Amino acid sequence: MNSVIFLTIVLLALSSYFFGRKKAILIQSNKRLTALPKFYGYYLAIWCGAPAFLLYALWSIFEPSIVRFFILSDYSSQGLLEGELNLFYEKVKSLSRNQYSGELTAELQRSAEKYLNFRDIAKWSKVVIVLSLLIASTGYAYTKISNNTKTREPVEIFLKGVFFLSSLAAILTTIGIIFSLLFQTIEFFQVIPLFDFVFGMHWYPAKAFVRDASETLDPSMYSDTFGAVPIFAGTFFIALIAMCVAIPIGLLSGIYMAEYASKRLRQYAKPVIEILAGIPTVVYGFFAALTVGPFLKDLGLSLGLEVSAESALAAGGVMGIMIIPFISSLSDDVITSVPQNLRDGSYAMGATKSETIKRVIFPAALPGIVGSILLGVSRAIGETMIVVMASGLAANLTLNPLESTSTITAQIVVILIGDQQFGDPKTQAAFALGLSLFIVTLVLNIVALSVVKKYREKYE
Amino acid sequence: MNKIEAKNVDVYYGAKQALFDINMDIEANKVTALIGPSGCGKSTFLRCLNRMNDVIDICKVSGVVKINDYDINQKDTDVVRLREKVGMIFQKPNPFPKTIYENISYGPEIHGIAQSKSEMDNIVEESLRKAALWEEVKDRIHEPGTGLSGGQQQRLCIARTISIKPEVILMDEPCSALDPIATAQIEELIDELRKEHTIIIVTHSMSQAARVSQNTGFFHLGKLIEVGSTDKIFKNPTQQQTQDYITGRFG
Repeated sequence: MNSVIFLTIVLLALSSYFFGRKKAILIQSNKRLTALPKFYGYYLAIWCGAPAFLLYALWSIFEPSIVRFFILSDYSSQGLLEGELNLFYEKVKSLSRNQYSGELTAELQRSAEKYLNFRDIAKWSKVVIVLSLLIASTGYAYTKISNNTKTREPVEIFLKGVFFLSSLAAILTTIGIIFSLLFQTIEFFQVIPLFDFVFGMHWYPAKAFVRDASETLDPSMYSDTFGAVPIFAGTFFIALIAMCVAIPIGLLSGIYMAEYASKRLRQYAKPVIEILAGIPTVVYGFFAALTVGPFLKDLGLSLGLEVSAESALAAGGVMGIMIIPFISSLSDDVITSVPQNLRDGSYAMGATKSETIKRVIFPAALPGIVGSILLGVSRAIGETMIVVMASGLAANLTLNPLESTSTITAQIVVILIGDQQFGDPKTQAAFALGLSLFIVTLVLNIVALSVVKKYREKYE
Repeated sequence: MNKIEAKNVDVYYGAKQALFDINMDIEANKVTALIGPSGCGKSTFLRCLNRMNDVIDICKVSGVVKINDYDINQKDTDVVRLREKVGMIFQKPNPFPKTIYENISYGPEIHGIAQSKSEMDNIVEESLRKAALWEEVKDRIHEPGTGLSGGQQQRLCIARTISIKPEVILMDEPCSALDPIATAQIEELIDELRKEHTIIIVTHSMSQAARVSQNTGFFHLGKLIEVGSTDKIFKNPTQQQTQDYITGRFG
């Protein structure tokens, strides 16, 4: 029913566009219009669709709680608890759908009938009211159309409103996510002291899992469970390995593409490098786990080194390969956008190509290059799949790249797969980790953006 | 004495011929102006004199360009040495995104001219003085060169060029991005620089050519129509086309 109403509104709005335009064209035959006929069409379509849709949306949002209020008003005097009322209402609803299998009482039956009745009334009155509003507003706007109706302005205001609502939705979602992270994190820190989390040396969330559910929460049993130092260290360590691979290769290939490669080569080679960025990270993940990891292990064996099959080196190295295209492509763009007259100036001084690159172009492009590197770092820190698959899940505190370590993102996965319950410190730990990750990448992005901005100002 | 002798110079951009059989002699320690309507090839000819056309992939140059009696179009010409001797100033001021000091020290450093810090300081000061910029920037030579005004930036580029004491300075419409006051300063400077350098200047402004140059060459559609002393070209040209251009009948 809902989709039928929605479709009707859309279709009527579309057709009123043609009515509005047609009326404007008729007027145009003997009077001058203030706007093009199509604006009259938009004007009528908005008057037709917008009020009806708004009412329809509000109705759909508030209808369930109003129906619930009417059903439960019969029982409000019985002093039932909120939970009991909820349970009762759920029973009523499932009975009305014929899916109830519990004990039938007269009360329940009566309420279910009442519920169905109300739903019916609500449904039909919704149809009638929405459609009559639609007809009324369209009729009002249609009679108002004359040669000097202002149509362009209302259409512009309406569009401005649509753009505003879209950006509002994006911003509110972001704020919502941040707050949900924040609230869960605060609850987590009420059980686990902040100090233990930030400076604790042992990360062992499985320990929180073996607790008997009936036991009351005793914070002391969580000491040595949620110490985040090993995974913070692991995160930065793997990101460091990744950047050691990505920065030199990415940067040098970016310079080659921008300064040395011929137009033809660039035309073909650049898309090939950018394909690397389009490979899903899970593919990189099993490449790291099934190819690079065992290869490093065998290589280590032949050199007499003890290499874990899941090593920070394998994960970091493959992650670095994943990040190469970001750095290469961005620094290529930045270098290409250095004005040609700087190159000419340097060549005219008798500088060679490599001198020009090293002493003029690289410094001029440096802020942009730093920006691209910082974006690469935030990718490395946020990367999950490769670590989960290739670097193991045990949070060892180590600086040996041949051992396995774990990262923030991988631990969030570990915590949240399988059974979990809300309000449990183990689950909330994921939110605390998520928030710390969010803060780190936010700071990196802010730094990157401000560096890039500084660069932009230079040539404008 | 002729500093530069160009013989039978042809230039092609891909399939399109931009210069046709240019023969031109340029006297030492004089200012030679190249005038002509847009797209006539005067800047292309200028760029033949320090092989800046090498930078453009599709550009092909043939013919002989002798500087100090040495043909620079030979295969084994050391372009680095050539450009050390033949400096260039561009249409738009193009200071490097470095400090004023580093902008000047760039040339001496890549050519290994200064042996010590104090020698470099001297070169920087001397170059800035010769470019009539020292008094304006002496308190901020360690600030970015891009922060200067347009006219100051162009003088900075001149100072940068003369820091390695080139024998020839090529100027490609050096004042077209500048206001009249900055233009007057640069023109005054050109007259000063002529004592030590041979100058070739491309200009759109005929009054500028008349003011600053001793010799003038008129280009049209890729051909050198007429060349001679500025006085003669402006007062008594032999070619009708030159006469028409000078008097503003076309161009």
